[in-house]
Amino acid sequence: MSYLEHNVKRVPTGLVKILYLNWPLFLLICAVAAVGFGMLFSVAGGSLQPWAEPQMKRFALGAVLMFATAMVPIWFWRNMAGVIYGIALALLVAVEVAGSMGMGAQRWIDLGFIRLQPSELMKIALVMMLAAYYDWLDIGKVSRPFWVLLPLILIAVPTFLVLKQPDLGTAILLIAGGGIVMFLAGVSWWYFIVVLGAGVGAVSAVLSSRGTDWQLLKDYQYRRIDTFLDPASDPLGAGYHITQSKIALGSGGWTGRGFMQGTQSRLNFLPEKQTDFIFTTLAEEFGFVGGVSLLALYVGIVAFCVFSAITNRDRFGSLLTLGVGATFFLFFSVNMAMVMGLAPVVGVPLPLVSYGGSAMLVLMIAFGLAQSAHVHRPRGR
Amino acid sequence: MTRTPLRPLARILDARQRGENPDAIERENLRLRHEAMRDSARRRAEGRLVVLAGAFVLAFGVVGLRMGLMAAAEPQEPRAELAGNPIVGQRADITDRNGRVLATNLSTYALYAQPPKMIDRVGAAKKLAAIFPDLDEERLVKDFTGTRKFLWIKKKVSPEQRQAVHDIGDPGLLFGPREMRLYPNGRLAAHVLGGASFGREGVNSAEVIGVAGIEKAMDDTLRDPARGGAPLVLSIDMTVQSTMREVLYGGMRLMNAKGAAGILMDIDSGEILSMVSLPDFDPNDRPRPLTKGDAGDSPLFNRAVQGVYELGSVFKIFAVAQAMELGLVGPNTLVDADAPMKWGRFTLREFQNKNYGPLLSVSDVITKSSNVGTAKLALQIGPERQKAFLESFGVFDPTPVELVEASGAKPLLPPKWSEIVAITASYGHGFSASPLHLAAAYSSLLNGGTKVEPTLLKRDGAPSGDRLVSERVSRASAKMLRQVVLEGTASFGRVPGYEVGGKTGTANKPIAGRKGYYKDKNINTFASVFPADDPAYVLIVMLDEASDNSGQEPRRTAGWTAVPVAAEVIRRTAPLLGLRPKIEPVAASGVTLASE
Repeated sequence: MSYLEHNVKRVPTGLVKILYLNWPLFLLICAVAAVGFGMLFSVAGGSLQPWAEPQMKRFALGAVLMFATAMVPIWFWRNMAGVIYGIALALLVAVEVAGSMGMGAQRWIDLGFIRLQPSELMKIALVMMLAAYYDWLDIGKVSRPFWVLLPLILIAVPTFLVLKQPDLGTAILLIAGGGIVMFLAGVSWWYFIVVLGAGVGAVSAVLSSRGTDWQLLKDYQYRRIDTFLDPASDPLGAGYHITQSKIALGSGGWTGRGFMQGTQSRLNFLPEKQTDFIFTTLAEEFGFVGGVSLLALYVGIVAFCVFSAITNRDRFGSLLTLGVGATFFLFFSVNMAMVMGLAPVVGVPLPLVSYGGSAMLVLMIAFGLAQSAHVHRPRGR
Repeated sequence: MTRTPLRPLARILDARQRGENPDAIERENLRLRHEAMRDSARRRAEGRLVVLAGAFVLAFGVVGLRMGLMAAAEPQEPRAELAGNPIVGQRADITDRNGRVLATNLSTYALYAQPPKMIDRVGAAKKLAAIFPDLDEERLVKDFTGTRKFLWIKKKVSPEQRQAVHDIGDPGLLFGPREMRLYPNGRLAAHVLGGASFGREGVNSAEVIGVAGIEKAMDDTLRDPARGGAPLVLSIDMTVQSTMREVLYGGMRLMNAKGAAGILMDIDSGEILSMVSLPDFDPNDRPRPLTKGDAGDSPLFNRAVQGVYELGSVFKIFAVAQAMELGLVGPNTLVDADAPMKWGRFTLREFQNKNYGPLLSVSDVITKSSNVGTAKLALQIGPERQKAFLESFGVFDPTPVELVEASGAKPLLPPKWSEIVAITASYGHGFSASPLHLAAAYSSLLNGGTKVEPTLLKRDGAPSGDRLVSERVSRASAKMLRQVVLEGTASFGRVPGYEVGGKTGTANKPIAGRKGYYKDKNINTFASVFPADDPAYVLIVMLDEASDNSGQEPRRTAGWTAVPVAAEVIRRTAPLLGLRPKIEPVAASGVTLASE
């Protein structure tokens, strides 16, 4: 009898579990989703179509999935982690093969009722897999090179497949999310220092090689970097998104122009206004106050995940909850940084707010896992 | 870390003695060990969590701070100056030698449609067809309602049309900014400028590329960003060009010609001050090339550069100049000019079967335009030397002028330069060259004897070319040309106040595709130089199939057609060129000097 199962007896069973859910977390999620509905309603010019209504339906479906996931005991998910990771990897390969077989480049698999993006599924499968791995692994072995290499491979394979699609945003989230789980599992500092140092070294080598004989990137790739560093240098080309989005944010000011009064976003200046750049609509219509409020809601969600993880003595549940929180954090921080011109445009949606099915459902399932970990956490003593 | 054994022997023996189950001890120890491990992992994990939380807080702080900074910033539209690189016209302007604009760019818009974004597709198609009558409504409806996601509707729209399309108010009708080439002077220098068109097109911009004339020949220069948008300065003088075009057009109509060409060249530098070919076209709206018939009948055809003709007697001066240069004759040497002249199976006659012989001075050979006299000189010179001499004036190679059409206008030469070829070539038959070749050759001969290369670009000072003839021969040639105007075939070329010299050329046009020549279709040329006592400019006027019908019989010689037109050009342009008329001193008669 393992330690976990030993304590099961004091864990709630049956429908009573509902009472033990992390309700504040769910309420925060609902609040963020509601902000998203409002924004989609506004972007469509005050109409539920074409974005707000489907988004609501997806959120309802997501909530059902979240509850279903939360009702399943967490050790079932731990035992299934390898299987789920394998399925996600197989789907990624399938998309890759389908793309190369002339069916056109596609990132999703059509399941009829929903188009599933394997790369979205992989985000959560990877976190589960790593959490299960470190739960299984003897703590003393965590920093040994061989046992560090294994999770690195687990991260690298899907990252490579996603980069081939090419989907830089998801690849960044996979690497960063996996890295955070490894960090929290207690892998030695030195590995992270070496990796970060190598990263900084590589970036400085790439930048300093420009114009020399051993130039590492193509000229057009350098121009993209230039555009990121100074979007105004190409205001109608690659810098267009960022320039327009900054205008929108600036025009919002402190309190914004008011609901449905945004001009930049509603007058079609902004591309992707219902997906990756929806934050600009919020910032334009509700200003700094609105933006910070949404930020506060996000902070609340991450904070609840962290508190839930700290009070959870089950290693898998704890790591999984933290991994979910970290992935969520990465989602919105990368998106906000991108919108505000702090990071290059890589195509990461604003979680729970941006229009889009796969990301929403996968996030809701992820929160279901965190809830399951919360409900089934070891109690007593 | 010291590990306690899971089954310490002492405790187990002790327990057995007390009749307890020793497994309970193992279980208890196992649990303690688990908790110890868990606690150490927890301590480490909590340390890590603090670090991560710190990173999260930092990220939140950065995002929040950025949001605050952006909210505090004054909203402003993006301005091109902010980027530090002002938007330069993609294509440099073209100006005349005094900086007056011949070609420039105009901002306009291209209209395109994105049918998926359209609200009322059929209605929009109807309204568009009303705004642009040349659009087919049914076609538009088909395009809009079909599967197309994008289509161009109009390449250029006027501001009024743009407003009308705005008023339709369909979000699927969109405009892309365009730089459009504009020739504000229309037909004025059509063949020089050529024209431009769109190259690769995108929604936000389109390449403007030259398609003909100097626009194409200098395309790379005009689009070179390194020049910073500095205009291309041509040698053309717009006022002279305008005058030349006007006079030539009138002359062409008056002389019932089907085409005309005129070139005015600076004799020292080779700069072309004016180049006109008629009929012409508007480079803003270039006609399509002819799909059938003679390309030479298209208005796009540049007679001055592309038209290679047997130009006739205008070349006689080169035979005379070479004979003088070689020391064979002087201006007053008498040569045998008894006509008709027999050469093998050929018989050589003068114009209208006259006979200027038996003896004629070299000067009079030019004045009277004697074919026989020139032929005799050519025979004295010999074919080889004659060919080399003409070649040195550049009349056998395409002209190096900055027009894309120039390289294709290669003079037509006989395969073998025999003596009979030498005879015909001496009076400008048997080989073909363009009016521009003639202008450059006359300039080289009359500017003191150094070679000039024709150019359409403004030059700083005259380049020193190779010496082709001595200054003495150059001066003597100019004097003979002056005699032609004073007492020879070009007596209509006299212009009060300006000493004009020149030589006429009347050549029958060859019948296309057959041997032989038309009797009544001529190329009439007048190659002139002014002022003849100190040559500064060469003017070539050529009329295609001209005929002066004012008399009883149609008169088709250059002296009756091209010469008066050229004289009118000189009379009007010489003052524009800053030449002072020489007023003959008139005896002061009837004038009383008021003096005490």
